[in-house]
Amino acid sequence: MKTTTNFKAAIILSVMASIMVACSSNKKPIATDTATEVAGSEVDFKIEKSGAQLWGEVCNRCHIAPSPADYNDTDWETISLHMRVRANLTEEEITKIETFLKSAN
Amino acid sequence: MGIDQLYQNLEKMKKLLMTLIILGLGSSALAQTYNTFEPSKTQFMLRGYGHTGFEYLDTGGEQESTFLGATFAPIFLYKHSDKLMFEAELEFELEGNELKTGLEYADVMYVLNKHMTVRAGKFLLPFGTFMERLHPAWINRLPSRPLGFGHDGIAPASDIGVELRGAFDLGGPKMNYAVYVTNGPRIKDGSEEPEEAGMLDFGYYEDVNLAKALGGRIGLLPLSDSSMEWGISAYTTNSTGAEDSDYKEVGAFLWALDLSYVKSITPLQGVVDIKAQYNSSNVDTATYYEIEDGISEPYSFDNQSSSFYTQLSYRPIMSGSDFIKQLEFVGRYSDFNAPEGAEWEEKSTQYAFGLNYWLSWRSVVKLSYQTTKMEGGHDSDGTTRTNGLFVHWAIGF
Ligand code: HEC
Repeated sequence: MKTTTNFKAAIILSVMASIMVACSSNKKPIATDTATEVAGSEVDFKIEKSGAQLWGEVCNRCHIAPSPADYNDTDWETISLHMRVRANLTEEEITKIETFLKSAN
Repeated sequence: MGIDQLYQNLEKMKKLLMTLIILGLGSSALAQTYNTFEPSKTQFMLRGYGHTGFEYLDTGGEQESTFLGATFAPIFLYKHSDKLMFEAELEFELEGNELKTGLEYADVMYVLNKHMTVRAGKFLLPFGTFMERLHPAWINRLPSRPLGFGHDGIAPASDIGVELRGAFDLGGPKMNYAVYVTNGPRIKDGSEEPEEAGMLDFGYYEDVNLAKALGGRIGLLPLSDSSMEWGISAYTTNSTGAEDSDYKEVGAFLWALDLSYVKSITPLQGVVDIKAQYNSSNVDTATYYEIEDGISEPYSFDNQSSSFYTQLSYRPIMSGSDFIKQLEFVGRYSDFNAPEGAEWEEKSTQYAFGLNYWLSWRSVVKLSYQTTKMEGGHDSDGTTRTNGLFVHWAIGF
């Protein structure tokens, strides 16, 4: 019993570890130089989302999203760091959302 | 007046004007220094949430009703710099006539780089998503927790240790991870509560042994609009008993799967929100003792438990009516299976239905009906049906 338990644990944890490693070496595949030259603004347009759009998509996933006017800039900075960690958001997401929240309150 | 005099007067006026301009500029420059509000890097926020309500329960024909003592959970957020932060939550709750207090979490976090943050202290565990992300009263769409979470639940909620977490953008899809080492649970050997022998106690924060628990979660958001997230979690420990006890060698392995889907759907005129989590707990087989007629009898069982819940909610936010916009309809199914042969053997299923009214993004009045069918359980034998009617009012601040 015990050995199977540990065996299963080892498998699951190593799968997790390898996914993590695989992903950490996976550089953001946005437009390499050639792609930018070829597809130009089209690629950027598809990938770059505005802070407002990200706010609408991301901040509604767990609770109803607060509106920019709910807090002042100082509070948004604290909240953004808190949510970045708690909700495990990417740096790009939270930076853009924070900028939007601070510009629209 | 001669030309000379006029010229002198003009000169005087020029000087006066210059002085005024200089004074004016200077003072506005001064005013600027005083009025510009430079936020300090160090910031402190006091927040939290509370809830109160009324409950009516009918357990196998026995009725009870009560107004709930309010619970109050202040949260302290202290941002030291753009990378360093401390969070702590206290809990105050009336249990009977006693004021129960708790430290839900207290941890410090530091952003190491773009993809990695370290946390240390007592934190909510990312074992699935319910406990870490969805349990606060102003977030949970129903007044109760699904079966398997909370008191005597099988999913670990929080612990003391260290954790690394972070997220990656995969060019549309996103991935996030968390790995942690904590003190780990303690096994209930039955010496204090014989009817709970074999249960894992995650609320026992003092480390009883040298073994630590190791766990983690990986979340994948496959769609570029972040509407869907799948998560897989695992949690393992080699020992759950005290260093010098018979249960030292009893290890445990738990895993969970979670799903979240939140999307605004135009033909449905609203937001659809689906949440689900499956938990499985496997504890190594051990021998426990039951006292029958003064004689201690050894017994053993296959210590495997599982629980599952899925919840669907819908908010008609695109409705033309201001009243209907604030409404939310919720349905949830959950079940819980505790090991056959244990004193706490149980098979339960529960349906919960709710109608919510959102006063703001963090204040909600919830009306719900819930029916639970329980076979076994450590307080009773046979089948018990419990029906409940709840009205709760939750607010975050
Ligand atoms: C993965 C789930 C999740 C996501 C996504 C999320 N939040 Fe939260 N949020 C929470 C939880 C859980 C809490 C409650 C924290 C607590 O009370 O311990 C919270 C609390 C808050 C609070 C109250 C203040 C605070 O910091 O605790 C604000 C404001 C907030 N969130 C804003 C946001 C914004 C803005 C976004 C989008 C960037 C966001 N949230 C995304 C889970 C989430």
